[in-house]
Amino acid sequence: MMHSLLHKGLRLLGILLAFAGSLPSAYAQMPNDAIYMGKKTACLAVSYTHSSWDQYWENSLKRENLNIGTHTTQSVMPMLAVGITKNLNAIVALPYVWTRASTGNLMWQKGVQDASLWLKYRFLNKSGFSLHAIGGASLPASDYIPDFLPMSIGIQCRTATARLLASYRHTSGIYLTASGSYIFRSKINIDRDSYQADDKLYNTSKVSVPNAYDASARLGYLKKAIQAEAFVEYGACDGGDNIRRNDMPFPTNNMKSTVAGVYAKFQPKNIGVNARASHVLSGQNVGQSTAFSVGVLYQFRYAKEAKN
Amino acid sequence: MKINYISFRQSITRLVLPALAVTLLWSCSKTVDEPTAGINTPSSLDENAGKWKPYVLASSDEIAVAQPKEATSDDYKAELKKVKDLTESVTPQQREQINYWGAGAVYRWNEIARELCARYNSPPASNADGKYPIPDATKPLQDPKFPFANPPYAARALAYLSVAQYDALVAAWNYKFKYNRKAPSKNDTSIKALLPVSDLPSYPSEDAVVAEASVVILKAMFPGEVPFLEAKLAEHKQSRIAAGMNVESDMLAGAELGKAVGAKIMGRARTDKMGSANNQAQTAAMIANARKIGVTEPWVSQEFPPRPPMLPTYGFVKPWNFDSATVVALRPEAPPVIGSPAFQKDMNELLDIAKKQTREQARIASFWSDGVGSYTPPGHWHRKGAELCHENKYSEVRTARTLALLGTTMQDAGICCWDVKYYYYYPRPNQMSSKIKTSVGLPNFPSYTSGHSTFSGAAAEVLAHIFPANKKEVDDMASEASISRIYGLIHYRFDCEVGLASGHKIGGYAVARAKTDGAE
Repeated sequence: MMHSLLHKGLRLLGILLAFAGSLPSAYAQMPNDAIYMGKKTACLAVSYTHSSWDQYWENSLKRENLNIGTHTTQSVMPMLAVGITKNLNAIVALPYVWTRASTGNLMWQKGVQDASLWLKYRFLNKSGFSLHAIGGASLPASDYIPDFLPMSIGIQCRTATARLLASYRHTSGIYLTASGSYIFRSKINIDRDSYQADDKLYNTSKVSVPNAYDASARLGYLKKAIQAEAFVEYGACDGGDNIRRNDMPFPTNNMKSTVAGVYAKFQPKNIGVNARASHVLSGQNVGQSTAFSVGVLYQFRYAKEAKN
Repeated sequence: MKINYISFRQSITRLVLPALAVTLLWSCSKTVDEPTAGINTPSSLDENAGKWKPYVLASSDEIAVAQPKEATSDDYKAELKKVKDLTESVTPQQREQINYWGAGAVYRWNEIARELCARYNSPPASNADGKYPIPDATKPLQDPKFPFANPPYAARALAYLSVAQYDALVAAWNYKFKYNRKAPSKNDTSIKALLPVSDLPSYPSEDAVVAEASVVILKAMFPGEVPFLEAKLAEHKQSRIAAGMNVESDMLAGAELGKAVGAKIMGRARTDKMGSANNQAQTAAMIANARKIGVTEPWVSQEFPPRPPMLPTYGFVKPWNFDSATVVALRPEAPPVIGSPAFQKDMNELLDIAKKQTREQARIASFWSDGVGSYTPPGHWHRKGAELCHENKYSEVRTARTLALLGTTMQDAGICCWDVKYYYYYPRPNQMSSKIKTSVGLPNFPSYTSGHSTFSGAAAEVLAHIFPANKKEVDDMASEASISRIYGLIHYRFDCEVGLASGHKIGGYAVARAKTDGAE
């Protein structure tokens, strides 16, 4: 069996940053596929993502904002996927993110965002059908500003994700994968000691960020060096408030989005490339972003006598 | 298809459960704890407060309060009986409300007013024609909501609130000691009051006075909040009877007095020229004048589409602690000529910060940003003032006095600062260089002088006088608030330094009043 690389995926904190555009991680090599690195092999991927929007949903009102113009989020994300056993993979990633607005006076932000670690475990694999339990956690990796949306590169949450994924792959190479996750998000500290959320004034610097969940379905083809896929993803917060009329977004906002996209990978040998494109079809409290990513992959053995 | 249950179970124990355990630890509580204000136990009765100098009332007996019934009368005994029954059947929810209001009437209504300021601090959005609709006081909840509680608006709302509370309490104190009706639990020792009871006479009720006077002001300032305010008012008054602190006639007399004082204060508000503080027709002449006095590149809105400047004629609103001629006399010297070495020096500082704003600079800028959606700089200082009163166990009347001194000086600071802003019409730094962006949001009015600095200088001057032990703390706070505007890249250093010095001068007038109002 061919050792594939994983990746794509999304969601790491993609959902957190839905407003800033689907993050780099948005297609990072998140474990939302059913593809595993073989034992003692690893894959290093570096991806670049460009995501932008010029319209966003303020609560449910779709609008433009001439004081932002086109909002762009770019990122570079190195990611390492390691085959521990053939049914257990670990993935780590650390994106560098920068934002900009084409007009207006908001200061652009940049920096190392959140480090993430994922464990992906295939606990059933029968006749092309497989089930996977995936756990992930992320931690802010720098002291970036959380409370300056939409320019912030992140919102400083620690997160933990529990995900179940089911996949069926036909011998022809066609596969169908579906997953659902719940994302626990920690409280955060902002620089102010007073803010509004849920129509209430809070006199503290602690902010309760709502948890989130997501679901995705992907239909694709995987054989030999080629993978191609179309996907739909839905993500939303478990509660949260809305952007107030003509106000800035805030970490407590219930950001929701439905995203559609395509993904492809070509990896004839150790070195490969991939690309991804996605577009937000509908949303609330997020920008209607269109994102493109390209990445290079390098697969290697990190120990001798690797066996699949 | 056969499912492998063993590996399924193993995976749950090995992977999913530990992951869940970790995540649950992080998320077990989604509530955030705010600092809670405990029950206030005033350290002084301030017996002489009935003689303190009011702001708007001619004297503390301008509004008559009828003599209460004797403690031996049947009517009063019936009221006591009712209080006793109520205190003995208090529900947990009532108990919570009693404790909440027990932090202090002035304290809580000030807090409520700050929350309303924040809720209404939203600049209108532009419409399809690129124009900004003006909020309509007769349709307060329609978009754009009325009011837009920007800093000058909030400064005024909080000033009137504090003055109404103070004048009403000075009057209440006069009648309290004139009639000297003891607290219910002192007239009937079988009543177990649920809050600490002092020797302060209970007629008329200080809580009713404050609540009603506050509601008169806040209904006028935030006309969309009438149901919310009435609910708070009812809860506050009921909490006092349920706590065994007042009988019904104490509350009724206080309510009548509070309403009458509130109406009196609103009489001033209606003629203080706030109604014409947004006269956009005058800006052309202001710009022409600025050019004449050497401002080569007057301020223009940096918003898209350009937004009319905020309250260009707020500088003509009637101040509290001096007259309008003094506003002009207090106007500081002209800012540096654009392009001069003094200008360039402070501009270079900003260009430098724009390149490498430190995390600490960003933190300070954000902490003091007090921008859209916040309770504004005057609200920030009212919070500090209210906390200091609470920490120092001030009586209701002394808390009100402190916040009236603070509130009036901050509106004076706003008036003076807005006068300066529209006199010089000086451009913001980012108008002069596109390299300068902000991490806090750009205010839509001229740069010189800094409003934050002026508000903060005035506030610190007053608070340092009243709480000398906290002088260094409040001065440091004011300095940090001032410099935060440089770190946030929306003001030149000279805007901030001159604004801070002006603020201290303006605060001096309130301090002069404090020295002669009979409370020291």
